[in-house]
Amino acid sequence: VTVVRPTGDWDGTGFAHEAFAFSADQELLDRLAPFVLEGLSRGEPVLVVAGARVRTLLTEELGADVARLTRFAAAETWWRGGHPTLHAYDRELRALHAVAPSWRLAAEPTWLARDDGREWSRFEAVANRCYASLPYYSLCLHDRQRLPVAVLDAVARTHPLTWGNCAPVPEPAYEDPERFLRSVHPAWGRRPSWASVAALTTPREARRAVAAAALDWWPARVGEVVQAAHELVVNALRVAAFAEVSSWTDGDTLVVEVADAGPGLPDETLGYVPPSDGPDGARGMWLAWSLADDAAVDSSPAGTAVRLFFHR
Amino acid sequence: VTAPRRLDAPTGLRPGDHVCWTYADAADLSAAVLAFLDEGRRLREQLLLIGSSGPELLRTLAALPGRDDMLAGGQLRVQSTAEAYAAGGELSPTGQVDAYRRLVAEALERGHTGLRVAADITALVRRGPDARRQLHHYEQLADAMMATVPMTALCLYDASLTAGVLGPVTLLHPVQHADEREALAHLSGRGPSLSLHGEVDVTQADDLFHALVDVACAGPGEVVLDLSGLRFLDVAGARALARATQVLRAADVHLRMGRVPRVAARCLGLFGLGGGATVPA
Repeated sequence: VTVVRPTGDWDGTGFAHEAFAFSADQELLDRLAPFVLEGLSRGEPVLVVAGARVRTLLTEELGADVARLTRFAAAETWWRGGHPTLHAYDRELRALHAVAPSWRLAAEPTWLARDDGREWSRFEAVANRCYASLPYYSLCLHDRQRLPVAVLDAVARTHPLTWGNCAPVPEPAYEDPERFLRSVHPAWGRRPSWASVAALTTPREARRAVAAAALDWWPARVGEVVQAAHELVVNALRVAAFAEVSSWTDGDTLVVEVADAGPGLPDETLGYVPPSDGPDGARGMWLAWSLADDAAVDSSPAGTAVRLFFHR
Repeated sequence: VTAPRRLDAPTGLRPGDHVCWTYADAADLSAAVLAFLDEGRRLREQLLLIGSSGPELLRTLAALPGRDDMLAGGQLRVQSTAEAYAAGGELSPTGQVDAYRRLVAEALERGHTGLRVAADITALVRRGPDARRQLHHYEQLADAMMATVPMTALCLYDASLTAGVLGPVTLLHPVQHADEREALAHLSGRGPSLSLHGEVDVTQADDLFHALVDVACAGPGEVVLDLSGLRFLDVAGARALARATQVLRAADVHLRMGRVPRVAARCLGLFGLGGGATVPA
């Protein structure tokens, strides 16, 4: 008889991040029900956020025990775009962390089935780093019937654990978060010859330059473009005497690039790391990434360039 | 109340104008003072020049038209900074504002159209951090007072003071002349509450923190900071507001952001301030 160990060697002191993809109802229940019941038996807060199919199946399986879940919520209403969704999720995690020594979560990010929801894989990748010290087990559920192969591939590359039939095992396709981000960001092509380029030494000058470019493109988004570019310029001027700010349009898309000759970005994932609780801690990249529709980074010891993409 | 204004020449000023003017040397100081006071002479205002010492001030005024007649008739007076601002040993913000109110009333009684003061305050800020905190509080009270009485002031500061000293002081003036820099931000006490105007970014974040804490800690109770006049706020500026909120809370002052425009809500939301949404959808 094989003993099922729903969380394997997880000892409740750090972050465990597993992706479980399912097709049949029973396949899901065989993984999910023991995971939930083990948490309840250990007195851990157990949270389930999932789509209708998973919720219905789990409700039938657990019976009265459903009432013992700390949270049992519909995932369908959670999606508000990547950054707002993660920010809200992050606040719940911090609140839980303040009262519980450890907890477990079964989450089905149903929005991965949407075109605009695919960016969620980037946050899943970065969570492995920025949540490393949070004491919870995150079992991410993915319905093979709903998700395209490319999304399931990204899921495997962003979760260090997968299910090995009686315990979680390392996922062979898992990638370092920075490597994953580089692979999904827009390809880094040459800056076009018609781009406007200026070397600037103050954030104020940069705001004026970017505002002028954005006004020519689409006035409705000037505020967002200026705010996002400003934060990149501030970062650049922290490590270099001047920032090279350039912009161009590619079809309906405005691209703003901020480049510096500093020592290179120590952490390329910060655009996906939610703000910390107190006033300290970086927020500029998080804000810039949240305002832009996409971003790309080219960083080396010779300097850093960041591109922000805004769609009309 | 409007956005802060950059002033290139110390003229074209009217009652209510409160200017922060940095000078490079004695000649620079003298040129500014002469133009400023001569305009007041033509407007039939009571003139007061405050600086390091009486004899030096008279030399500064050598080229002022009608200097001796105005001195003799009382329209022009000179005083040393120590005498004018710190007679009791240190600056009393409320006492000093009351003193100016009385001087304005006297000027009006004597038939002048108002009071025009050029004051070199450099000596006060050189007395250290406590004196600067008092000065910040005073500049804010004085600015609010000038909105209500016919007084025009040119506050003079030596440009060689450090940026950390000049920054908060500059922010507390609606009209600014500091090097070649554009006037970006102003913390005002005019109106029903404190208010922040213009653009606040990383270059004034620390200045804002110091000015705001020194001005608001006179509490206790709730202090509202109206943000409706902000045209730009960045992460560093919002962080300064968050830190000020934290520091003031320890002094029993509850700082609350009021009338938050969308452009400020983005960054404030990242610090749990402003009560609004975090980032736009």
